[in-house]
Parts: sequence; structure tokens; C-alpha cells
Amino acid sequence: MRVLTYLTHRLLFVIPQLLGIILVSFLLVKSVPGDPAVLMLGPTATPAAIASLREALGLDQPLYIQFFIYVKNLLHGDLGTSWQTTRPVLDDLIQRFPATLELVTLSLLVAIGVGVTLGLYAAKRPNGWVARLADLYGLSVGALPDFWFALVLIFVFYTLLGWAPAPLGRLDMIVIPPPSVTGAYTIDTLLAGDLQAFGSALSHLALPVLTLGLLNAGPILKMTQSTMEKMLESDFSRYEVLSGIPQKLVVRHALRNALPSIVTIISVLYGFLIGGAVLVEIVFSWGGAGQYAVQGVLNSDIYPVLGFVLFSAIFSLIVYIVVDLIYVLLDPRISN
Amino acid sequence: MAETSAAPLIAIMDLHVDFPGANESKEVLKGVSLTVQPGEILGLVGESGAGKTTLARSILGVPPTSGRIAAGKVIFEDRNILDLPEPELRKLRGSRLSIVVPNPRAELNPTMTVGKQIAAMARIHLGVDRAEATRLALAILRDVHIPDPRRRMNAYPHELSGGMAQRVVIAMALICDPAFIISDDATSGLDVTVQAQILSLLGGLAADHGSAMLFITRDIGIAAHFCDRVAVMYSGEIMELASRENLFLRPAHPYTLMLLAAFSHSPKLRDAWSVPETGVRQTQKEGCSYSSRCPIAQPVCSERRPPFVEIRPGHFARCHFPVSHE
Amino acid sequence: MNAILTVENLFKQFPIAGSKQVVQAINDVSFSIQPGETLGLVGESGSGKTTVGRCIIGLLEPSAGTIHFHGKLISDRRGSRRGLAGKIQFVFQEPAESLDPRMKIGQSISEPLLPMKLDRTTRERKTLEAIRLVRLDPDLLDDYPSELSAGQQQRVGIARAMVTQPELVVLDEPTSALDPTARAEIIDLLQRIQAERNTAYLFISHDLSTVRFISHRVAVMYLGMIVEQGDAADVFNRPHHPYASGLLSSVLLPHPHLKIESSVSLKGEIPSPINLPKGCFLASRCPFVIDRCRTEMPPMSIVGDGHFVYCFRHEDVAASVPASDTFNVFMREAERILGRRTSTGLPIQIHSN
Repeated sequence: MRVLTYLTHRLLFVIPQLLGIILVSFLLVKSVPGDPAVLMLGPTATPAAIASLREALGLDQPLYIQFFIYVKNLLHGDLGTSWQTTRPVLDDLIQRFPATLELVTLSLLVAIGVGVTLGLYAAKRPNGWVARLADLYGLSVGALPDFWFALVLIFVFYTLLGWAPAPLGRLDMIVIPPPSVTGAYTIDTLLAGDLQAFGSALSHLALPVLTLGLLNAGPILKMTQSTMEKMLESDFSRYEVLSGIPQKLVVRHALRNALPSIVTIISVLYGFLIGGAVLVEIVFSWGGAGQYAVQGVLNSDIYPVLGFVLFSAIFSLIVYIVVDLIYVLLDPRISN
Repeated sequence: MAETSAAPLIAIMDLHVDFPGANESKEVLKGVSLTVQPGEILGLVGESGAGKTTLARSILGVPPTSGRIAAGKVIFEDRNILDLPEPELRKLRGSRLSIVVPNPRAELNPTMTVGKQIAAMARIHLGVDRAEATRLALAILRDVHIPDPRRRMNAYPHELSGGMAQRVVIAMALICDPAFIISDDATSGLDVTVQAQILSLLGGLAADHGSAMLFITRDIGIAAHFCDRVAVMYSGEIMELASRENLFLRPAHPYTLMLLAAFSHSPKLRDAWSVPETGVRQTQKEGCSYSSRCPIAQPVCSERRPPFVEIRPGHFARCHFPVSHE
Repeated sequence: MNAILTVENLFKQFPIAGSKQVVQAINDVSFSIQPGETLGLVGESGSGKTTVGRCIIGLLEPSAGTIHFHGKLISDRRGSRRGLAGKIQFVFQEPAESLDPRMKIGQSISEPLLPMKLDRTTRERKTLEAIRLVRLDPDLLDDYPSELSAGQQQRVGIARAMVTQPELVVLDEPTSALDPTARAEIIDLLQRIQAERNTAYLFISHDLSTVRFISHRVAVMYLGMIVEQGDAADVFNRPHHPYASGLLSSVLLPHPHLKIESSVSLKGEIPSPINLPKGCFLASRCPFVIDRCRTEMPPMSIVGDGHFVYCFRHEDVAASVPASDTFNVFMREAERILGRRTSTGLPIQIHSN
């Protein structure tokens, strides 16, 4: 029951949070120099043509009116149109967002697998070689740029070894994409029963997932290691040792207490990677949402940018609510 | 009760525990030897910093963080348990040798219900299944007089009062019917009426189960009424060991006399048995570690460490000049 | 009969967040303190004794009732305390927590002088006096709290309280966190200061033997009410309230043959101060309980000079055990066992090996 009341409480706050985010992004995007009308018409445009296009786009209105109109359209499901793709932003994002989501989710799973396992092992044996390796790993991984790491992996596994497919998107050229249900190729190909397409999607995912997964395992590893060390040194862990509880159980109980911190960093990474995966998306020609937003920024195409911000904000808020729910379930002290 | 020749239940022999620091290691236990007879309650009194908690945990082979057992033996059931491999030792802890800790709410796992924690002890040490463990946990909660035990089983440690949490920790220490219980400052911080109940509970349960107890406390008043024999600890050493009659009515070591004087609230007596505080804590390298605070110290006290002498049957003091009451 | 502090019908409630219920911390407490007198306030957790102390020094505002200092009301608005100028002071329980770890000892001690607008020389002089009063080396004024022992830290706490030359000091468990030796020294110090400066103390504690030793009068609190009040010797030698008797029976003196006799051994736990029962608060745990106790609050009965009790059956309680001054008996026994020093400072008989 306390879960339900907590949930309703949080959901009530989502609307004002979103409004605030959109307002700030709107103002920021509008303050970027660059006149969309000029960019759209090209360098040979006459001042009159520019002026009339500005009027048509509503760019001559005061800012607050422009914002009003934007929010009004949002409520109708109209996120505006991208002048680069000439399609509604909503359609563009529905096509691209799942690509990023699929990539980021799988990468995060790899990151969790590597990070938590190594972190646990390092915490159990703080002087062992795993701990030392983990320290090195955590340090170096933070210093490596992801696109560079991606290129190295491509060089090794595609150019030299020929194990990976060419980094040209999510599927082989000859493979037809499955009918879109979720937008994630791994799921959709299985639903359609197209095993060949499934294999192709998986092989194209391998390198980018490895890149993002291994690099982002670093912070997860560090957090797991340090929190678990603290938990294993705490009074209650020592008491369990004094009471003769076997070490495996002591570690399991300590992990339960360490989970909130680990879950926090995972959720932060998740929200970050939606936009933070963009460089990897570009290297692998992924056609993801991050790429789309960056193009919008470079071309003063504001609606894709705002649309992307809205999508990722909603996504992050959902992730945070889920995480907070997990907290309430994990730690009985919080609900009071 | 004189030192009998009956075999002790547990014998701690010349235990040395130090804390290796960055520059030099600090010796916290300097050769502690104690025996506890079956069914007896041995009290251990001393002030903070004497090493009582270090001793309590080191007996079970788990010295406090960064501590190291440098030397010594703990003989229980004919073997030195400190030599046992860790998994063997774990089997003994909680089942044959258990400990009651202070500040129970900090020592219990905050994310598990107390019922689960108590039952876990039974499952692990007695090997019973979940249902049986729950039944045993309920029974022991009744034994420790927790009102409404069925409901309290599902409570989390932070939801309990200090007295309740202390009873839970006692329940955990007793559920496997141990032969030896270490009670480390188990009643400090409790209200005095709750303390009285906990003491009578502990004493009764120990008697019913036939267990022996090492009762560690800073309150010598409790020791005078609750313990059969009492040991006085100072700076990592046992300074005096006697039956409670002898210790409180015929104290021999100047430190014991100083403790009693402090509890008597008589300024005259305190002045008689203490040396004005200089504000600098000097560590004695040679001789008796108490000599810098001792009002009757003689030159030999800072040269030679006093031996542990038997001044009457069963009454020992580590002093060159133990006080006589003849 | 000019009391310096008079507390009349004090009440204090704390609302509980997220509910309409309140914690009734203080329920109709009245007492007074004479100049130079120590009133011991004893009770266990939930008795409200700490809350009483905080109301007196102004950290909390009472929900009802009045507090008068030298006849002047100090409990209504904040403004009425301005004339106090450090005449009422406070000593905390945990010396390490009440001293700012980043302030030097000298700064901590002179802090209460700051609102008094004195010049620097006067402040320094008073700080020096205060630290000498507590028998600490003035060199320590430049040290930080972490460099001092717990006993020394508590002396600093007392110096800080005494620097404004207060008439009344409220001490909340000043020795509970200390070892027996440090505890005895602090009590010694407090008595010496009282003899020199005629300071009155409100000594709040759960340590009955210390309270017995240092207090002239004592008030026993249970769930926010004073159940018995009187001269320390009277109350401790022959308590008239079952709770006072039960409390005393749990005191263990370091002498195997001496026990404080009592017909009351209290079972169970203290009930919650949120839903106080109708009638006497002790009824659920009291061995002397009769039907009347559960429905009616007992009125005040006067059982001696300045000795009050709130119990229907106080006569039975008092008659159930003979009066005995066990504390004094223990003192005399202690002197017999420990008092073996000659004028030359050596014990009379020493065993040497």
C-alpha cells in the first residue's frame, strides 16, 4: 500500500518537472546564435525572403508567445517539424529513439555484469590481484574517449580479424528490417520469427555494446567496490561474523544494504547514456536519437532538439521513479 | 569460591592483541589470561580503553578492525580455537560460543526483520528448516520476555526500543544453547529498570541452560551483585582477580581501590587513592602500567612488571605491594 | 524563601508529523529551586526530564504553564529572556559533541560572553578565571577539543557555563558519558563551585547514586509528571511512590551485601507518551495498583516537610519496607574498606613480595 501512495505522490510531480525542463531547454536553444531562416534559405537569400520565412515560422513573435504555442502544440501531440528531414519530429523520434534505447539498455546490462561482478570480488578480497586490476580498470576507463575506443575495437575486430560486420548501421544491407513493434530489432526480429535478421542485428550490436558497456562498467565497479567494502566493515557485518554466519551469507546481506547506492549510479548512467551515446552512434552510423539531436543543434533546427530533450527527460523521470520505488522496497527505513 | 582444580570450560592463555599502525603498533592486550568454570559468571570490569571489547572479540577470533592476534591461545573443548581454520571457527561461533553486543540497533542488519535474523542463526547452526527455525525463534523470544512476540518477529531493528533490541540480541546469542556467553557491556545505555530486568533474564537463562558467562561492564555495581568472580582490567592487563566477596570487601590492587573510591563519591577516599591528573597520558614502557597513576608506587614499580600473585586462595593481584586487609 | 526559579504547572507537547497525535512530554510539572541549592531531577527515558531542562533555558517554549526567575516571567515570548544575561546556563551530556571541534578551547569558553558586549580584556580575564575555576591548565586555552580527554572536555563545558557567573546551572546528564574516575572528579568540581559561588543546580540524571550524593532535594519524574518530590535523604531513604521505590531497587551499589530494599520490582516497559492512560500513568505496571488508580489521577499528598507524593497508596508503599539510608551505609563501608591511609600517605599494612 505504501508503494501505491508513494507512486501517486511522485507522478503528481512529474508534470511540473517536465514543464520546467522544457522551459529551460527552450530558452537555452533559442539563445544559441544562428538564424534558422537564413540556414534554410541558403546564402543567396534576399532579406525580404528571410523576413517572410521568419514570419511564417513564427520567429518574429516574442519569446513567451513562441513558448506558449509550442506547449499548446505539444498537448496535441505535435512536436513540430524538422526542416532537415521535413518530417514531424514525433515520427522521427519514434523511429530513432528505440534504436538508442536498445543500444543503451544492452550496454548497461553488460556494464552491470562486468562492473558489479568485479566490484564484488574486489571488495571481498581487497588485497588480491582482482582488486588491483579493478582499480586500474576503473581509473583508465574514465580517461578513455568512447569514440576512440570504438574505433580501436572496429580496427581490431573488423579490419584485422574480420569477426565483426562493417560499422554501417544496425543491420546488414541485404537484410530487411522486421515489422516495427517496439522499434528494437532484437525483439522485433524474434517476434517476427526472422532468425537471420536476429543474428544480423546481434552482430551489429556487438561492437557498440562492447564499447559502451566496458567503458561504463568503470563507475559501476568503483561504486560497488567502495560501498561493499564499507558494508563489510560495518558493525552489523562484523556482528554476523561474530555470530558465526558463513561468509557467503554475510556478503549477500551486505550487498542488500549496498544496493541503493549501486542502483543510484546505474540510474544516473542510464539517463546520461541516452544522450551520451551519441559519439558511438555516429561512429557506427546507428541512426539513433542522439545523432538526430546533434544534427538539430548544428543546424539550428530547434524542434528535433526540443523533442529529444522531452523524450529523454520523460525517460529519465521514469527511471528515477522506478529507482525510488526500488529503494522503498529495499530499505524499510525509508517509507516512514 | 576458590579456584578449583576442576577443568575450566574455557581458558584464555596469554592473549596478546595489537593494532599495527603506520609508525608503530599499539599493544592493546598485553598477555591476558583468564579461565571460566562451567556454570560460572565471571565479571570483567574496567574503564574505557582498558581493552575489554578487544578481549571479548578476540576470544572469538575476530578482533576489532585492524587488530591482530599476535600471540596466545583460547582453549575450548580441548583445542585452541584460534588455530582453527575460519570455517571451523564459524561453526563454533553463535552455536557453542556466543556474544551479546551493546548498541544492538547498530549491530543488527537494518534491512532484515529481527525474526529472520534470529531464525537464520537456528538454520545455520542447528541445520533446521525454515518452519522449525521460526518456531525456535518464537520460543526464544518468549523466553526473553518480549511482549507480543509474533508481531515483533516482523519488526525491523530501527522500529524497536533499546530494551527490546537488547532482548533480541540476547535471543540470538542463546537460541543455539551455547556453552559460553560473552556479554559485552550489554546493559549500558539502558534505563536502570530495564537493566535490572535484562540482568535477571540473563542470569536466569544462563542458569537454566547451564552456560558460563563472561560479563563485561564498566559498572562495578552490577559486578558486585551479578558475578561469581570478578576480574579488573587496566591498560590491557588483568590487575586483580577474585571472588566477589574478596574483590569488593578486601580489594588488593590500588586500581581496584581507586575504582571503588570513585564509586563511593567520597572526596577523601578519592584523594587517598588517586594521583592528580597531569593531563598527559604517559605510556609505561617498563614496569607496571599503572605506576604513573598509583599513589603507593615505589621505584621498583617502574622497573619491573609485577607478577600475578595469589595473595589468598583464589585471589590474585598484579602488584608489588598489594593492599592487605588483615 | 526567595526561590530563584519557580516552575508552575508546566506542560509541553510535541506534534507528530503527519498525524493529529501529540507526544505529551511534560504533564503538569511544578517545582522551585532556592539559591545555592541542587535539585536532582531523576527519571528514565520518556520521563521528560531533559525537556524540562530545555524549557528552563529557553531552547523550547512551553505549551502551557509558567517559569519565573527571581519572580520575573521568562517563559512566554523570547523577548522576556533578554534581561537574563547569562544568569541561567546549561551543561550538556556529551562533551565531545557540545564543543565545536574547530574552535579553540578559549574561544568556546568565552562564547557566552559575546552578547554581553564586554571589551576584549574583560572577556579574556573572565575566560582565565573560568578555566582556573575548573582546575585546568590555562595553556589548554589554545588547544582544540580533540586534544583533551573526555573528563577535561566536560570541565571545559562547565567552564563555559560558569564564565557568565550564572546563578542557576542546568546540567543534563553531565557525567553519564564519563568513566567512573572522571565522573567523580566532575561531581567534586561541581560541589566545590557551588560552595564557592553559591550557584544553584538543576541536576538532571538517571544515575541515582550520583544524584543522591550531590542533591539537596530530588524530584522523581515518570512520563512527564513529578511523582514524588522532597529532600534527597527523605525520598531515597523511604520512598512513598511505587515508581520511586522501584527505581531505587534497581540501583546496584558496589558492595555484595548491600541492596536497597524495596517491595517494588518494575516489570514491562514504559508506555508510550503519545496515548497516555487515564488515571495514574504507572497503573499498568504497579504492584500496588487498585481500581481507583486506573480511572483517577491521584492528587498531591504532603507526607513531610517539603515532601510531596502523588499516589493513593503512598502510606502502604512507605510502610512496606523500613527506612534505610543504604547510600550512607555504603559510604561508611567504603571508608572502612578503603580508608587505610596514614598521614604519611602510605597504607597501614602493605604486603610486599
